[in-house]
Amino acid sequence: MSKNILIVEDDERIRTAVRLVLEEEGYAVVETESGEAALEVFAPSPSDVVLIDIMLPGIDGFEVCRRIRRLSEVPIIMVTARDDSHDIVAGLEAGADDYLSKPFDPKVLSARIRALLRRSRPSETAHAHLVIDQLELLADEGTVRVAGKQVHLTHTEFRLLVELASDPNKVFSREDLLEAVWDYGYLGDGRLVDVHVRRLRTKIEPDPANPRYVITVRGMGYKLQT
Amino acid sequence: MAGEVGSGDEPSELSVPVPDHEDPRPAPLGLRARISLSFAVGGLLVSVVLAGATLVLTRRQLIDSRESAAAAVAVSNATRLSNQLTHDATIEDLPAIADSLTKIEGIQRLIRLGDSWLPTPELDSEDLPRLLLDQLAQREAGQQRSSLSGQTHLVVGIPLTAFDADYFAVVDLADVEDTLGNLQIVLFGASIFATLIAAVFGAWVSQRTLRPLRRVRSAAEAIAGGRLDTRLEPQSDPDLDRLADSFNEMARALEERILRDARFASDVSHELRSPLTTLKASVGVLEARREELSDRSQTALTLLSDDLERFTRLVVDLLEISGYDAGAAALDLSEVQVLQFLSATTRGIGPIPLHMPPHSENLMIRADKRRLARLISNLLDNADRYGGGATSIVVENDGPNLRIAVEDGGPGIPEAERAAIFERFSRGSAGGRRGGDSGTGLGLSLVIEDARLHKGRVWVEERPDGLSGARFVVELPADTEDEL
Repeated sequence: MSKNILIVEDDERIRTAVRLVLEEEGYAVVETESGEAALEVFAPSPSDVVLIDIMLPGIDGFEVCRRIRRLSEVPIIMVTARDDSHDIVAGLEAGADDYLSKPFDPKVLSARIRALLRRSRPSETAHAHLVIDQLELLADEGTVRVAGKQVHLTHTEFRLLVELASDPNKVFSREDLLEAVWDYGYLGDGRLVDVHVRRLRTKIEPDPANPRYVITVRGMGYKLQT
Repeated sequence: MAGEVGSGDEPSELSVPVPDHEDPRPAPLGLRARISLSFAVGGLLVSVVLAGATLVLTRRQLIDSRESAAAAVAVSNATRLSNQLTHDATIEDLPAIADSLTKIEGIQRLIRLGDSWLPTPELDSEDLPRLLLDQLAQREAGQQRSSLSGQTHLVVGIPLTAFDADYFAVVDLADVEDTLGNLQIVLFGASIFATLIAAVFGAWVSQRTLRPLRRVRSAAEAIAGGRLDTRLEPQSDPDLDRLADSFNEMARALEERILRDARFASDVSHELRSPLTTLKASVGVLEARREELSDRSQTALTLLSDDLERFTRLVVDLLEISGYDAGAAALDLSEVQVLQFLSATTRGIGPIPLHMPPHSENLMIRADKRRLARLISNLLDNADRYGGGATSIVVENDGPNLRIAVEDGGPGIPEAERAAIFERFSRGSAGGRRGGDSGTGLGLSLVIEDARLHKGRVWVEERPDGLSGARFVVELPADTEDEL
């Protein structure tokens, strides 16, 4: 069955052109022209990937992203019309998994969607079942528990945690993580990693300001501390 | 010689958003210091004049009274001496007569009779000032101040006109001088004290006077720092209130203009990016179905595709440059491993020899990875376009700076053009002759902006090995202070 992609974009031309590109790749595409419409469509039948433009009439892209996040862990790509650092970080903090700046290359869009849909676990997960303190990771089941209670991680947050857990106490550079989790090369955007680590911490750390599990190693990267 | 552009030591209006208002004139003293200094100088002058006047008047008063008293006593004694002296008196008779004269503490007397002198235990005729002796030889009374054995004395001489005799009174003025000396010390101390008080008072006054100016300064700094809604409160002083009004008016106009410009840039950005997104997606669909098209259509698609690519780059570069011009560009610094970074940047252009300094496998630099990658790929692109492709990348590390040089094997850049090629939309004479040039003309301008933002610089020079070709060098400070 083909994957379902929801496009939230107020510019009809862009919407149509992007739909053509994605249909060419074999995806089923649903178009909506506003955040409100997108939420109405998404709630009853969740898509596999959501593409959200930040500048929308009515509720903006960040808010749409936050509301979809309340319903689902679906992969979300933010589309910005500016190379503005604030927009990108705000989009990621609202829960987006990745972002694209207009005008983007359609090939890049396809590659991003493929990377997000990649279901395969990072290769050779050494710890199918890892317990550190109160944190419990069941990689095969795709679940994470903190103090016995299951926490809901997005697909990307989960992959990030699994990657760090593949070699506890080893320092992963931002580039390592970009490659393993997002399928970006060395030149990918390190802010993706930083914001996802922040989001992960708010979900699994007892005190996100003073992390116990996911530790920043200055100038080097991040590690999962046992 | 290198045609150097974008040097880090020249003031850059782009990387330094707060303009430098320092006065270039050699007037290092601030307003506050100058006011304090004026008060101090004023205090010094007034106290010196007062002290001087006090000293002069006191001195005159003290010495005059002492002199007139001494003269009165001397005259009376001379008269009595004259009355008691007889024409046949000799020097032996004098002590008896002198004992009967009025004695005053601090006044000694000498008497000449013919060629003989009646000296005192401390003084004799040799000590008397010659001028006075000459005057008395003319049978005229006189007085003169003189330094005897290191002390100031007043010598009063009165000729006894009836005899060949003179009467001298020597008045010791040392105690007067002592008093005046003490007074001098006290007045000197008082002058210094008054000067210090004046300086402190001046500092206090200037601080009070300049307090509103400090507020203006803080407000201006706040605005320069990006808090555009900063305003001054109304002032009670009418002069200052006008200043505050003008300042606020300026700040309001500035805020309005900056917001309007930012809105405009954002609108332009959106309006340009949206159709380009549609175009790129649509051309992407056509490219995917290229084989379904006729030859003529395929040729047209290639033209469309190539120029769309170029136009997209132009728009993106222009938006980026306008971001620099608006001072909106900010660095996103992280640790970049130079070897890994350069390998990643040159991936996909084919093998380019990379010369690293020895033991540099882990050479790191704090930089904005995205901008640095764009900088290098713009240099590689430039080499590709005008120099027949980059022949090597050389990394040099000389302590405070890291230099990355991109060399090509083209004709090189004539010295006269080395600065001009970095200007926007300028292409070297070699480039201008080429047909089918797909550059945007902004690549090297962006290289400069990117280097400047990193507090570095860029220049072009000859290849050091003497072969034909250009060598573009970007020099970055190896250690930037900003935090991650």
